[in-house]
Amino acid sequence: MKFPRIKGPRGVALIFLAFFGFFFLEFYGKIFERGVGNYLKWQNSERPQLGRIWERDRQGILAQSKIQSIRLGLDSLQEATDAIGSFKTMLEGLEPAFPLVLSRQKFLDLYYDFPGQWSTIVISPFELISIDSQKNWTRVLLKRFGQWITIGFLDPKNIPVHEIFLETDALEEVLATRTVKRGRLEESGFEEDRVYSAAVFLPVLRTLDPKTQSAVFPDPRWFLAKGYSLTRVGVRESASESDFPRHLIFGIEYDADYHTGVLLIPVPLEIANNMLSQIERTDSELPGEEFTTMTSPSGDNP
Amino acid sequence: MIRRLGERIIFIFYTLTLLGLLGGAGIYFVFSRDLPQLPDSLENINLSLPTEIYSADGERIKVRGQRYPVSLEDISPNFLKAIMAVEDSNFYEHSGLDHLALVRALYTNVSQRQIRQGGSTITQQLSKNLFFSFERNWVRKIKELLVALQLEATFSKEQILEAYCNQIYFGSGAYGIEEAAQVYFHKRAKKLTLLQAALLAGLPNSPNNANPFNNYERSTRRAEYVLERMVKEQFLSQEKKEEALDSLLELASPKENDDPNLYFVNFVIDRLEQNYGKEFVRFGGIKVFTTLDTRLQRSAQRAARSHLKTLERKIKPRNVNIPLQAALVAIENQSGAVRVMLGGGSYSHSQFNRAISDNRPSGSSFKPFVYLTAMEKLGYTPATTLRDEPILVDIPGTEPWEPKNFSDEYAGDIILKKAMMRSANSVSVKLIQEVTPRRVIKTARLFGITSQLGNHLSLALGTSGVSPLELASAYSMIANLGVYNKPYFIQRIEDFEGNPIYENFYHGIQRFPQKTIYPLLDMMRGVVDGGTGNIVRRMGFKHPAAGKTGTTNNSKDAWFNGFTKDFSVSVWVGYDDNEPMIVRSGRGLTGGGAAAPIWVLFMKKVLQGKNRVKFPVPEGIKFEKVDARSGTLPDEQSVETMNVALKEEVIIPPRVLELEKTQLGQASVNSTTTSELVDVVSNP
Repeated sequence: MKFPRIKGPRGVALIFLAFFGFFFLEFYGKIFERGVGNYLKWQNSERPQLGRIWERDRQGILAQSKIQSIRLGLDSLQEATDAIGSFKTMLEGLEPAFPLVLSRQKFLDLYYDFPGQWSTIVISPFELISIDSQKNWTRVLLKRFGQWITIGFLDPKNIPVHEIFLETDALEEVLATRTVKRGRLEESGFEEDRVYSAAVFLPVLRTLDPKTQSAVFPDPRWFLAKGYSLTRVGVRESASESDFPRHLIFGIEYDADYHTGVLLIPVPLEIANNMLSQIERTDSELPGEEFTTMTSPSGDNP
Repeated sequence: MIRRLGERIIFIFYTLTLLGLLGGAGIYFVFSRDLPQLPDSLENINLSLPTEIYSADGERIKVRGQRYPVSLEDISPNFLKAIMAVEDSNFYEHSGLDHLALVRALYTNVSQRQIRQGGSTITQQLSKNLFFSFERNWVRKIKELLVALQLEATFSKEQILEAYCNQIYFGSGAYGIEEAAQVYFHKRAKKLTLLQAALLAGLPNSPNNANPFNNYERSTRRAEYVLERMVKEQFLSQEKKEEALDSLLELASPKENDDPNLYFVNFVIDRLEQNYGKEFVRFGGIKVFTTLDTRLQRSAQRAARSHLKTLERKIKPRNVNIPLQAALVAIENQSGAVRVMLGGGSYSHSQFNRAISDNRPSGSSFKPFVYLTAMEKLGYTPATTLRDEPILVDIPGTEPWEPKNFSDEYAGDIILKKAMMRSANSVSVKLIQEVTPRRVIKTARLFGITSQLGNHLSLALGTSGVSPLELASAYSMIANLGVYNKPYFIQRIEDFEGNPIYENFYHGIQRFPQKTIYPLLDMMRGVVDGGTGNIVRRMGFKHPAAGKTGTTNNSKDAWFNGFTKDFSVSVWVGYDDNEPMIVRSGRGLTGGGAAAPIWVLFMKKVLQGKNRVKFPVPEGIKFEKVDARSGTLPDEQSVETMNVALKEEVIIPPRVLELEKTQLGQASVNSTTTSELVDVVSNP
């Protein structure tokens, strides 16, 4: 075997110096460790996030995203609940697998916002006062099982302090069908010749007995509290013939700050005709408005 | 000659250097590919949001993932010197690799042909703890070293030491020096004395075996060794060492390891992990508000322990050292909230949760479901008469089955209420024969029992396994007069900002009409007031209560399941190895003797200072006094009478009428037809 030859003492010295230098730097300066360490540091960002702490990080992120998605679901549910516009919609929108939770305030708002007496027939205001007197009702839980709706008044621990059972048929009662629509009377199917000004309608309304008044018109507070100004009243036949054949629809048009709306009230034919005949008498004194009593679409006019 | 020798030496040197360089480069390229990225800072590596679990009475009963990182200024210098002396004396000199320590470890490992010594620096240990598994192998060691070199190049020595002190494990559940100082000495890390610091510095090497709570001698020997190392490394003078060894350690008492709440807490954590995933519980930083009442849980444990001790004194000594166990579940009837879940006598001895996992035969505790099925399906009433007598049941393909009463005594004709009070097995078997086991299973399912139930006649005697949780929940439905509330454990969960992410809402379902359940409830009141559960009254429990005892073959299981208006409580007592519980006199323990006293001791605490609340009587129920043998209206021939609760439409006939019917041949001595007669007459 041929070994490399050392070319004179200078070569040996150089090699010796080189190694001596390396060991000196390693011993005192940790050149090897620092070199490797700094090289790794330089390309740190290119390496994958592996290992226990990164796994913890990932798990943490996963957990937070799970919580975030649950929160989003609950928030959207809350938004949907906040957006419920009427007592009837609240009950109609219930689905068997999805109970609804409302704050006490929201429930009362919807309860008293219903344009008529239906909500107070479903739950008597005295019953509400009685539940409220226990001072532990914070929320309302609405559930639907088949033909039944349960309205549970919950205490802060979510235990129902009182429960009311309501048959879904109650949603179909004529008093329950008062609805609100955006737009003018004509857009809701009222013909021009059957539309009267508030000035004609209100004096007649005032002459009716309280029971009849409540059958054709909501508590005036409903308009006043919302700042709605009554403009016109229309009468038309019910669009759905089968539902309430012995009823006519009164449309009460009002102007709000930024829109015009119509409150639709089904009125029993007898009351409607009685009222319309009075309007006719008043109306005959006003030029330009003609009136004829209406018949039930079913032809079953008493 | 000399020149030749020099040439050889230089050649070998060249070759080795070249091989070393090539080897080093090769190792680097092989392992650097899957080296982990380092975080930008070491300050937050220990921090994650802790998950907190609260009881219904507002106590924080468990915190998971809580860390207490501190800066170097808040750590006693004694500890810093001690940990360096024992783990890495050249910490401030090296750059991640201690050559001498490595050579020493290499020599030991090669000579012993296995990895015995690490020779790891503090930086390498930090690298291992942050990124790698605890498995010892060469590949992991090399990667760990490379990461340590990068740690040294990236962070200052102080940052590395601080991170190390904050994340090492000191045993007894303590991560980081601050928590360790709190756990072992109830003081801040800043205030540790020299001896305390030396003791703690000795723990990371063997946190479980050398910790002072488990092995005091070993931990002090290790502390002595740490002090010696400190002297050797000139961190300490000999005098100071002597002074430290003479000082008091002031070790705190170990944290209560026998926390009875842990049965409940661990069950809740398991459920959460099943429903939402492990990371949700470990890293979610959630707050879980449970239904547990810690005050009642403690009472349950005290009641169980005290009575188990009494029983163990009475029981015949056994060859095996397996303690008698008990399980107890208490449910609030109104809501279904589980207020107590005791899974065993002592959590520190056994973490197995017998309240939910150990389905044991329920014995006669199952009979109420058989009786209710008979009353529902056959129109029987508590006044219906059956004959309590020895019976033989033909089972095709096998020997006839001969179920016997507990003490082999039979009462002859008795009404159902009396049969329930005496827990007559023969009557129960007759009933299930008539209604079929399938129907009984259907009833039990309506009561929320989900365990597998055998579709055979012995089901009448409770031969299928159920858990105390299931029974407590099922009995709660009787207390609620037919309203089933699914038992629940979590009231509310909030995220770390306090926003609700889960809420429990009450879902009571009326599964049986009230007037169907009330007669059964009244029969079970009879069990407590004058039947097999009468010990409840004898022990001075005066609140209106109902229940049923249960004892399985050879006294292997003893049950008492009872309820008041507000609480339903199930108690089980038995051995984990399913051996009989035989007292010195040779008798077996019964549900009344073994389980009911625990129930009473517990319920007395629960209802201490509370008014006695009667069970409400629903509409359509009437009470009648009947002859306990014939089920007819009592007369001068009546030896024993009994009050029974009946549906309003049921009419109890006078004895004369029944006799007439018998004479007319419409009834026979056969118990079933006798009861049918009563039924015919009573249900026109």
